[in-house]
Amino acid sequence: MKRIALILVLLGSIVVVPVAKAQIKHIEMRVEGMT
Amino acid sequence: MKQHLGRQSGVQKVDVNLLDGKVDVTPKEDEHIDPIQLLKATYDSGVSTAELDVTARGKLVKDSSGGLALQVEPNQSFTLEPNDMSRELEPLAGTATMVTVRGQLYKKPAGKKKPELPRELKLLLLEVQKKE
Repeated sequence: MKRIALILVLLGSIVVVPVAKAQIKHIEMRVEGMT
Repeated sequence: MKQHLGRQSGVQKVDVNLLDGKVDVTPKEDEHIDPIQLLKATYDSGVSTAELDVTARGKLVKDSSGGLALQVEPNQSFTLEPNDMSRELEPLAGTATMVTVRGQLYKKPAGKKKPELPRELKLLLLEVQKKE
């Protein structure tokens, strides 16, 4: 019982923060001479 | 051209619209993609790039010459062409603030049919989408 309570406390204390990664997200090109 | 671009490292998906000549490149998550390589691959496939725009997220840093640059990876950054938007972002240089921007990395010089590709690309900010 004690262990379950401990696990619940641990899970509750974990805050998932989305990590904003640096990166190129999208590239858009306009090309000429395509057939 | 689609195959040429699809073979470049860091490319997940390439969508080509034959009607308006628009090419959308979706990079792979967590992989390095080099816009200059994309320009070369396009050039090698026999067509020329009129314009290349990029949406990127990164930190603002000062480059070796003191100019403002967007660092998108530890070893990849783009110097910003000075404009009103870049001046507005200047105070964020060296901070942990992440910015998501859309900008123009390449535009074909007017009057040249097959111009030489640049060695370095500078980012002209068109839109600041997010600061976080």
